[in-house]
Amino acid sequence: MLEIFDYEFMQRAFIVGISLSILTAVLGSFIVLKRYAMLPDALSHIALLGVGIGLVTHSSPIYVPIVVAVIAAISIEYLRYKKRLYSDAILSIFLSGALAMAIILINISDGFNASLFSYLFGSITAVSDQEVNITVGFTLISLLLLLGSYRKLLFATLDEASAQASGIPVFWLNLMLVVLSAVTVALAMRIVGILLIGALMVLPISTALLYKENFIKTIGMAILFSLTSVISGLVCSYHMGLSSGASIVLIALGFFIISLFLNL
Amino acid sequence: MPVIHVEALNYFVGKQEILSDISCDIEQGDYVALIGPNGGGKTTLVKMILGLQTPSSGKIDIFGIDRKHFKSWHKVGYVPQNVSLFDNNFPLSVYEAVSLGLAAKKSWFSKINQEEKIQIEEAIHIASIEEFRDKNLSELSGGQRQRVMIARALVSQPEILILDEPSTGVDIASQHKFYDFLRRLNREQNLTIIFITHDLGVIADDVTHVLSINQKLVYSGTAETMLSCEAVSEVYGTKAHVVHTH
Repeated sequence: MLEIFDYEFMQRAFIVGISLSILTAVLGSFIVLKRYAMLPDALSHIALLGVGIGLVTHSSPIYVPIVVAVIAAISIEYLRYKKRLYSDAILSIFLSGALAMAIILINISDGFNASLFSYLFGSITAVSDQEVNITVGFTLISLLLLLGSYRKLLFATLDEASAQASGIPVFWLNLMLVVLSAVTVALAMRIVGILLIGALMVLPISTALLYKENFIKTIGMAILFSLTSVISGLVCSYHMGLSSGASIVLIALGFFIISLFLNL
Repeated sequence: MPVIHVEALNYFVGKQEILSDISCDIEQGDYVALIGPNGGGKTTLVKMILGLQTPSSGKIDIFGIDRKHFKSWHKVGYVPQNVSLFDNNFPLSVYEAVSLGLAAKKSWFSKINQEEKIQIEEAIHIASIEEFRDKNLSELSGGQRQRVMIARALVSQPEILILDEPSTGVDIASQHKFYDFLRRLNREQNLTIIFITHDLGVIADDVTHVLSINQKLVYSGTAETMLSCEAVSEVYGTKAHVVHTH
């Protein structure tokens, strides 16, 4: 069993997986409670546009998707909060627009190959040392920011108007949340895959919500479901040669279905 | 000095006039009903007082300070509309919900200290929700949630409490208890309370001041005078017959 850790690529996959499972659970909790569950999906397709730009320009496959996703996240939040456009409509426009541009760019670069598939569905062998360092560092900074502002963020999530009336900088907190989500999605696409990262952010908190506990316990349960899904998904992926993203998401879905029956 | 001073307030959306030349004063300890037809501008006026919307022209002072420079928002508690319709899945205990009222005052990473814990317990006690303190919001009725949100607004020890249609979603039997509770808060805590309502029966009982808004300030004065048929007709733009039951 433990021979799995003899391989450096598995060590890297576990470090990145564990970091991201905690971060996606916490970020996903706020995102889902804000009724913004489409955001990770939109951001992941926008990150694919970053991959397309990277392929055409032969630039970094790590940094370009991050930059593109962050710019899009800021634009989305600006249009939602300042221009009061419907959030689901904005997300749908960004998602389809980014996907269309990504397909054209990948077409131009002749990039429909195995490498693209690892971005779409995730691959445990795809994680580099550089990505491990960036992911762990980013996770620590993000968790500190979320922990430091959690009470204000929670108030703004429950009731934006009252939070703003009490003097909480709601726009800046929302912006922080979407920017952190954008970077997380761009980092997680290597291991979970662009098509499945949305599910990893939404499923653990949706499962935890079924138990109707208070906020702290719900977040704790979401982290536990996410962590267990990622670790067991990576083990399944290694032993059965399956896609890591699909294994992780199917296990997370399993937790959701079991919890649904337990809480009927 | 009035706690809220509104002077020549105007608000336009495009060319449409939403509020026109509104001026009024609210004094410390007032118990004020803000009434008027739907779309008359009541909620807009409240949002402007709270700094959630910016007027096209005019002035609002809070505790003598221009609203644009006012920083002590913890002195103004706010309970929004449709509290009883809050998301049933939101995982929040009553204690957690009340403690959110301190969020604006807290700096990053600071925990709730002993003094603030006492403030939370006091707010829970004043709102008479001790028996629900560890329950989730989803387990409470509309009226009970309304009290939780009031406790949340009270925990920062405000001097003004503003409520937007607080009895929406609360059954009729609970409405009377709820307004009795508000009146007690006003008297016992010397809290200035402003609430938006459509329920003219409520304002007849206890309010010290009625503001009637229908784009412009139609009436400002006592409830007794307000409930003359002429004043009610002018506010709602329809003929009215008021039946006095006592």
